[in-house]
Amino acid sequence: MVFSSLTFLFGYLPLTLALYFLTPLRRRNFMLLVVSLFFYGWGEPVYVGIMFLSTFIDYTHGLLVEKYRERDRLARWFVGQSVVFNLLLLGFFKYWDFLAANLSLLPGVNLPKLGLPLPLGISFFTFQTMSYTIDVYRRDAPVQRNIFDFGAYVTLFPQLIAGPIVKYKTVAAELVERTVTSRDFAAGACRFTVGLAKKVLLANAAGALWESCLSSQSAGALTVAGGWTGLFAFGFQIYFDFSGYSDMAIGLGWILGFRFDENFDHPYLSTSVGEFWRRWHMSLTSWFREYLYFPLGGSRAGKARTLRNLLIVWFCTGFWHGASWNFILWGLYFALWIILERFVLKDVLAGTPVLAKRVYTLAVVFVGWGIFAMEDLGVCGHYLAVCFGGGPAWSPLDGYRLGSWAVVLLLLALGSTTLAVDLWGKLPERARRVLAPVLMLLGLTLSTAYLVDGSYNPFLYFRF
Amino acid sequence: MTTRYSRFLAALFCLFLGGLLVWHVLLPDRDRSEVENRTLNQFPAFSWERLRDGSFTEGVESYFADQFPLRDQWTGLKARTEQFLGKREFKGVYLCGDTLISKTEPPRDGLEKNLSYVARLAEGTELPVYLGLIPSASEIWRDRLPEGAESWDQAAFIAQAAELEGVRPVDFLPALSARAGEDIFYRADHHWTTLGAYYGYAALMEALGRGEEVLEAGAFQRQVYPHADEFQGTLYSQSGVHWLPPDTIEFWVEDGFEVTSWREGTPEASALYDLSKLQTKDKYSAFLGGNQPLCILRNPEGKGKLLVIRDSYSDALAPFLALHFEEVHLLDPRYYRYSAAKYARDNGLEAIAVVYSVPNFITDRNLVLLTQKG
Repeated sequence: MVFSSLTFLFGYLPLTLALYFLTPLRRRNFMLLVVSLFFYGWGEPVYVGIMFLSTFIDYTHGLLVEKYRERDRLARWFVGQSVVFNLLLLGFFKYWDFLAANLSLLPGVNLPKLGLPLPLGISFFTFQTMSYTIDVYRRDAPVQRNIFDFGAYVTLFPQLIAGPIVKYKTVAAELVERTVTSRDFAAGACRFTVGLAKKVLLANAAGALWESCLSSQSAGALTVAGGWTGLFAFGFQIYFDFSGYSDMAIGLGWILGFRFDENFDHPYLSTSVGEFWRRWHMSLTSWFREYLYFPLGGSRAGKARTLRNLLIVWFCTGFWHGASWNFILWGLYFALWIILERFVLKDVLAGTPVLAKRVYTLAVVFVGWGIFAMEDLGVCGHYLAVCFGGGPAWSPLDGYRLGSWAVVLLLLALGSTTLAVDLWGKLPERARRVLAPVLMLLGLTLSTAYLVDGSYNPFLYFRF
Repeated sequence: MTTRYSRFLAALFCLFLGGLLVWHVLLPDRDRSEVENRTLNQFPAFSWERLRDGSFTEGVESYFADQFPLRDQWTGLKARTEQFLGKREFKGVYLCGDTLISKTEPPRDGLEKNLSYVARLAEGTELPVYLGLIPSASEIWRDRLPEGAESWDQAAFIAQAAELEGVRPVDFLPALSARAGEDIFYRADHHWTTLGAYYGYAALMEALGRGEEVLEAGAFQRQVYPHADEFQGTLYSQSGVHWLPPDTIEFWVEDGFEVTSWREGTPEASALYDLSKLQTKDKYSAFLGGNQPLCILRNPEGKGKLLVIRDSYSDALAPFLALHFEEVHLLDPRYYRYSAAKYARDNGLEAIAVVYSVPNFITDRNLVLLTQKG
């Protein structure tokens, strides 16, 4: 189930909230586990088994790490087991076909492709459960002895399928004891509505524009203007889609009594590529920093080691996004820019005006989206070549597209800045009190209209 | 935020979600949607097998969406919002002033072969074979489309069709282009109007070498029956643009012909117009009563016997043809699966005309049936 569906909004969510708040406090984690399993099983009922397995294995490994804490080698061995288990789970479901296809290119190797559907959110929850045993080992979080409480963490539906990647230590205390005030609930509802509108109203509109530009590419009619329009449209789509989803997750968290970390901080305002990654999908960046980059030695072990570590982390970051070469390339592309910034551009950037730095960052990031968006590297190469002058500059279709999407593009651009937040903060309290319910209803109503319309499927006897 | 105010906001949120859920549950399920012209999904039957393979939950999602309260109103609201945002295209339909024009997409894989199937029909029969491709509004009214908007080039395709070996073209394109300033297509339906069909009839008679018989447009009594002026067609449904005034369907040719419909495999007496269809949403099907495998029009005073391989555009055209031909057979390759050439020979027909709108012609997967030997 996804949040931006009618079944979730008008079926699952109201029923779940009712059940949750009718349940006595000390049973709520169990209720949360039950409704989350239902949520997870909705799309692929069979994969609920993965949830059970994952919960059981990480739960027992947490206990084992705690038990053998005094025998460090043994404790490390169990941490290692848990990490390997999670990586195998991820590797098998997400990367097997990719590895099989590529390894089979070697002479004498012939691995079958399995074509299994990807379990929902596997990239997110495996990273979350991995953090648990590591946190316990590092004494960053206490071991969890109640399997239902732990299960509630593993399956917690708000962030289960699209993040933010919630580290165990972030919610360890709330898992045991949490309170929900009506203020939390109201703030959560507002946050959820903002996220829903970002996803349904803005991201999908940007996506349609991107699709249109991409179809120009396949029709051989792409222009420079159309190419850049498409890159920006895709960049906006992924930002509003993903950050909207995070907003919904964070809002639902507040409603249920959890405080997840923020996941996006207006990344398109960044003045360097490094900064962009500190403001984009922050939970993933910090996960990699904490559980991969630092353990590798970070940047404290000399230039050569730093370079190696950066390459490893960015290779993994890219590969995490998808089992395909373009994602690896995308990760390494960012490694290149980050290394450049750190070792070469540092002084240049220091003396550059802020506006120019923003333009530079956006150009790097949006070209990166091109690599991200097109899995077929041939298509991707051609598309980007057109963007950089390998095609006509302009066509009437570009005029039509830009005209039709002008208002939407303006909203997307403004929505990527802090303008709305700033304006809201400047309003007098009275105005906010009046506007908040109006905007909430508007957001919910329009999102519903777009969702219903998405399922609207007239059969028109077009053919006859 | 005070506690009271927070409670108010929280309640608003819950009421919106929960309220629509309750409404959904209390609202009786509908069998079909008139506007969408299809049956709506019902709550799926449960079985463990269907749960395991995911089809049960998928069914619930479809049911939930199909039976959602105020479905058509939500769609209308979305279209209004899109218009407000400056959009000109609504689900593949351009809004051009007070007219909706469906965008034509390029033919998909393999369907460019449809032209060759007509050529093979001509090879397989001694009868003369005519091909009349009717350009749709997106071609004739291209200048009304938003500036720079895309629509596939039908004129180039029609020119290509005119080159077909052994097939005689019917020049619908110039005939309709010359009248582009008139109301030859409905504003909110993809079909041609009776006026458009009249120009089509003139072009077809010209192609058949009987141009001198064509009646003057002024010679017809234009009838508008009750509810015929409330026509909200397919583009109204598809686009969600619900704020345009409805179209009017005119009936020019007076009924009084012997019409035989083969709907269920047996002949039944029928008529040029089924006026009961004017009470429904799909009012265009008042012409001949809508789609059917085979329909035969007889006029003892006419001359010649014509086989028309039809799509729905022919339904508005057929009344004009009935005025001139002893027999007109309208055969629909979607329902009639046998050889058209054999049918023509067995029934003593004298010519075959494939009359299709271009968008239908380039999306139809049944035309391969025309290649069956006689």
